[in-house]
Amino acid sequence: MWPVTKCNWRFVVSGAGGGGNDVQWCFSQVKGAIDDDVAEADIISTVEFNHSGELLATGDKGGRVVIFQQETENKSQSQFRSEYNVYSTFQSHEPEFDYLKSLEIEEKINKIRWLPQKNAAQFLLSTNDKTIKLWKISERDKRPEGYNLKEEDGRYRDAATITTLRVPVFRPMDLMVEASPRRVFANAHTYHINSISVNSDNETYLSADDLRINLWHLEITDRSFNIVDIKPANMEELTEVITAAEFHPHQCNTFVYSSSKGTIRLCDMRASALCDKHSKLFEEPEDPSNRSFFSEIISSISDVKFSHNGRYMMTRDYLSVKIWDLNMENRPVETYQVHEYLRSKLCSLYENDCIFDKFECCWNGNDSVVMTGSYNNFFRMLDRSQRRDVTLEASRESCKPRQVLKPRRVCAGGKRKKDEISVDSLDFNKKILHTAWHPQENIIAVATTNNLYIFQEKVN
Amino acid sequence: MDVEAKRIMALSISKLYSLRTQRGGLRLHRSLLLSMTVRAARDIYHTAQLLRDAEEEQVVPCAPEAAPEEPMEISKDTPKEVAVKPKETLQEDKENRCASEQHSRKRRGKTALEADFLPLKKAKMETDEEKQHFQGEVLRTNNGNSCRQTETLTSFPSNRAVVAC
Repeated sequence: MWPVTKCNWRFVVSGAGGGGNDVQWCFSQVKGAIDDDVAEADIISTVEFNHSGELLATGDKGGRVVIFQQETENKSQSQFRSEYNVYSTFQSHEPEFDYLKSLEIEEKINKIRWLPQKNAAQFLLSTNDKTIKLWKISERDKRPEGYNLKEEDGRYRDAATITTLRVPVFRPMDLMVEASPRRVFANAHTYHINSISVNSDNETYLSADDLRINLWHLEITDRSFNIVDIKPANMEELTEVITAAEFHPHQCNTFVYSSSKGTIRLCDMRASALCDKHSKLFEEPEDPSNRSFFSEIISSISDVKFSHNGRYMMTRDYLSVKIWDLNMENRPVETYQVHEYLRSKLCSLYENDCIFDKFECCWNGNDSVVMTGSYNNFFRMLDRSQRRDVTLEASRESCKPRQVLKPRRVCAGGKRKKDEISVDSLDFNKKILHTAWHPQENIIAVATTNNLYIFQEKVN
Repeated sequence: MDVEAKRIMALSISKLYSLRTQRGGLRLHRSLLLSMTVRAARDIYHTAQLLRDAEEEQVVPCAPEAAPEEPMEISKDTPKEVAVKPKETLQEDKENRCASEQHSRKRRGKTALEADFLPLKKAKMETDEEKQHFQGEVLRTNNGNSCRQTETLTSFPSNRAVVAC
């Protein structure tokens, strides 16, 4: 055992950008209605870039998926920024009713995951609480014309009027993007699906609910393999649930799942068919000085994400983000406080249900910076390499094109400085739960309640 | 301390009840977290009650409250009304009367032996044991002689809610 010093890096809030390698973020676009009156169906529930970053998908509470496409602008003109415009919109899931249990199944899209592109078409998986669907998004920019038996509008011609034969030809048409459901993976989950993750083998994927994780083959819809089952024989003995799961980015046999108790289990599918026994258990001992009524709730992990290089994973609980080295199980290698000033407000946050909010987190392309959301439409960028962190805001007030985002500060107590906002002034209805980072560039998508903000790195 | 615990218990129970009517079916994760909070609050409340009863029985020098206090923030939004219907409470109470009396006697005995524990530590220990007889628990403020139903927290159907899922 080597001597270990506890290395929780707590960062000083950085100043306004500064020189060197600091990235300055600018407003690029905002999508969605401007009304303050938010229609429930428009609430964004998931955001995901595809593997190239060219496409950006959002899912909402109304069961719709909207895909934006990055325009291929002339890159030589540095002032021009590639904008994201609507590419396709479709209704992925509809509300359903389970007659046996007298339960309504919400159409809200919980997660979207893109498949790596294999041909001209794009594929994504979208899921609600019970059913996963594989959607094919394809472009049509030409159509056949000159049929012998049909008119141009589709009506059949009277055979007697046909005197000549011609070969139908393809003629260009306005681009049409079609989304069609290719597979429906249903009836495999008793509890609510919280995660889906595509395997690096590009053939299988996992879906996780509160108590079970199933492994599917993308081609086969009528069966799935149960690989994790933590349901106790007696439900009264239930102490924890699965909150998120993800496949390793390179090792097709490895996946992790997080729990409501703040633990992460890494499983190897080669070890056994049923991965109830973990290969590694990642758990940090609780700090007894922080114990309260709500310790259980705030230690519940809301998201787990592998780094792109596959060496680390990141977890998000209510107040912090932790980076774990896959080779070290007893504690994270880095811990970042997202909004520590909320620790003394847990009782109010319990009353208004905010304590149950499930924040997501994401890595940038080279795993040097992580990002997560907070309240008051704030989001946090945590730079691992530079040991700096910054709080930014997604607001309609900073919506001028290429306007640089100003760092925000929250005053935890005592005298409020100029430009600081006090904790009691924070709007807890304005929460950023879903964020995504372009896989290669410094472009981020941040979802407020019903708007999607796109920010880009400032280009000089 | 016990006032706060009682308030959190009532709040949690009302949240558990409202979960049942929420669209999309019962959320297992949320139910679990809520029931854990109720348990933690109930244990603190119960322990505080027993301590108070013990003090009343004999003259004991006052010990300072050991548990760290959660500063009570008054939120701007009014908390949801407790959805517990008095009728329902009464019926459930009648069902569980026998089991609970036995149970509370048992708890009393144990507590008398361990007078100098930290409330939180005790709460954790009791949680593990109580998992075995989770149904039919009733928190009482007296020996069951009072008719004040409002102060009696009946066995909330959190486990039933979980099982039904």
